[in-house]
Amino acid sequence: MLKEEWRLHQSLVGGFGSGLFPFMIFLLTALGAYITPYILGNIQLTTILLMLHIASVIYGIFVGGFGRIGEHVMTRRLGQVNMLLQLPQQYPISFKHVMGVFYIKDSLYYLVYSYIPLVMGVGLAAPSAGVSYRGVAVLGVTMFLAFMMGMGLSFALSALSLKSKRGTFILSLAIFSLIFLAHPLELIPVSYVLPPMGYWATRNIGYLLVTAAISAILAAAGVLFMKERFELRQRRYDEFFLSAETKLGFMGGLRTMVAKEWLELVRSGSLVPAITGFGGHLIAIYFISWLFQAGFGIPINFNVIFFSGFVGFMGVMTYSFLTNLEHNEYLNVQPVSVDMVVKAKLAVYLLLTSGVTVSYVILIGFLKGQMSMVPMGLVVSASTSLFVVAVTAYLTGLWTNTMFFGAKTILIFTAIVVPPLTVIEIASMMIEFRPEAATQVIYGGSLLLLIAAAVIFSRLEHRWRGVSFSYVSTGV
Amino acid sequence: MPVIDVININKSFGTVKVLKDINFQVEKGDFYGLFGPNGAGKTTLLRIITGQLEPDSGEALTSGVSHREPITVKRLVGIVPEAETPPTFLTARETLELTCRIRGIDELSRVDSWLEFFDITEKSDVLCRDLSKGQRQKVMLAAAFIHEPEILLVDEPFINLDPIYQRKVREYLKALVAGGRTVFMCTHILEIAEKLCNRIAVINDGRIVSSGSLDELRVGDEDLEDIFLRVVEQPAAA
Repeated sequence: MLKEEWRLHQSLVGGFGSGLFPFMIFLLTALGAYITPYILGNIQLTTILLMLHIASVIYGIFVGGFGRIGEHVMTRRLGQVNMLLQLPQQYPISFKHVMGVFYIKDSLYYLVYSYIPLVMGVGLAAPSAGVSYRGVAVLGVTMFLAFMMGMGLSFALSALSLKSKRGTFILSLAIFSLIFLAHPLELIPVSYVLPPMGYWATRNIGYLLVTAAISAILAAAGVLFMKERFELRQRRYDEFFLSAETKLGFMGGLRTMVAKEWLELVRSGSLVPAITGFGGHLIAIYFISWLFQAGFGIPINFNVIFFSGFVGFMGVMTYSFLTNLEHNEYLNVQPVSVDMVVKAKLAVYLLLTSGVTVSYVILIGFLKGQMSMVPMGLVVSASTSLFVVAVTAYLTGLWTNTMFFGAKTILIFTAIVVPPLTVIEIASMMIEFRPEAATQVIYGGSLLLLIAAAVIFSRLEHRWRGVSFSYVSTGV
Repeated sequence: MPVIDVININKSFGTVKVLKDINFQVEKGDFYGLFGPNGAGKTTLLRIITGQLEPDSGEALTSGVSHREPITVKRLVGIVPEAETPPTFLTARETLELTCRIRGIDELSRVDSWLEFFDITEKSDVLCRDLSKGQRQKVMLAAAFIHEPEILLVDEPFINLDPIYQRKVREYLKALVAGGRTVFMCTHILEIAEKLCNRIAVINDGRIVSSGSLDELRVGDEDLEDIFLRVVEQPAAA
């Protein structure tokens, strides 16, 4: 399975790109460790540790959601890909057994692929950051344990959700209650929810053993909850494609593919998660702004323009989500090219996010008493959103999630997207002090981004026309 | 002018050369069968002809249109791929409607005709992901036939079909060829191919090792299976 995972990554982003990913983690963490002393001046070590461990738990939660793919794997083809997970269909081996092995495989893979490079990166910068090698090693261990806890939790919940919706709800409620008791009620210590933090508070190794035990119990529960048989259901729907296409007449030549994309979004149960996910990312912007304020200790007045600039950046997640709904192999035999579907996805992205974006900018303007800045905020959010998503679509096509595992892709993306967004964000912070110059930079920058987005959009055909829909075919 | 003209096609996947100097022509009105052992390169060749895959060298022309113009080629032909992968979240009816829209067919009554032809009207509102393999194959066949193309390229079209529908599809393809259209078929089911194909080619280890009409290839009273076994078991020409 480890070989399969490695070859899958290689098939997606090439051997070089795949190998470069852990190297990038190594470099970024080394860089992070170098600048830590400067940030530490304003953020407490405990807060940094808490953030690192929460990030690890969330990483684990994302990785561990494979409990639900059981049904997917066992009831239909994964595009043109067959995986070892499908062994129980033909061989006398239980699905529980295979999923247990899959869990161990993923643990080892992410240990080698993410956490060892992370520890090595921090280790490289440890002397200059005033951190001991032992401390770095222990940090690697506690973060990996937090990752395992998140992965186990996600695995258990996703497996349980196929068996009992009520059980999943009760367990989720219990976990959220526990978190709520720790923060903001502060009735129990954080270490009750996140035991690795207990270790850092007391240096008691017992906390690490408890974390390992919780991870193992959650993983075992995931295996136990796993269903062995997946019944085929027949979902019936009234004809909706033609009426959707008619309603989307204003999309012109794109309406047929947009109607298909829209139906897939709705029927896969992804419409609400896509909208709430986008909204969730916008909430994350508040967290980032807090980090800046707390980190640098400067009382910066984050205004409407600042928050508007981040809207586009967060749109990458939503576009990526949209590209995961369907493998589209059917279209290989129709006179349709990848760029047409990419454009349809961009149209669906705009349909999904426009209302949320406008509401968000107006809300921020209202809350901050900066309604006069809302028009400029709308221009910034529209231009950054269109630019960033156009770049994403150009670089990753219909395979955003997997192609971003390629270090080359993510480096190019960063080099193209980060500088102009940084300029706009800095200008937004300067608006208080040099309003005229800042306004010119913001409007000028937005105009350039819109032009760049239009140019990139027009190049999508050239970039993706000759590519097969099976270019990256995981189906999961 | 041949309707399919394959000229010096070569294709490698990594270090493995899967097609070597492939040349052949399919004339209008041919029922052309391409046979070969597993992994011989049949599906790869079909994907190159239909513009789904770029060869390393050479060219495939379909009605004079190069494989380098895949959208135009796909407009001209109907394709039944090896794997039955209709859209996951569309119903059988919607899949055919989508196909009509993509291909610019206004006459949507064809959707009902093809659902009836394959006896899947009762399942027409079921998501394709929830259909059986055979039903999904029927949707793929209907989607390839619905625009009544002059040329059909079909890869194992009878797989997953019960004998009733194998026969029905066979008769339909025969009628198409009788009406002057062209069918290019990759299959392992030699009994069916023998009844249908007027010209065949056998591909082995990436090379066309034999081609012509059945009568030209036959030695004595050989049937297609005998011919196939004879030509793939003899050492390939260097």
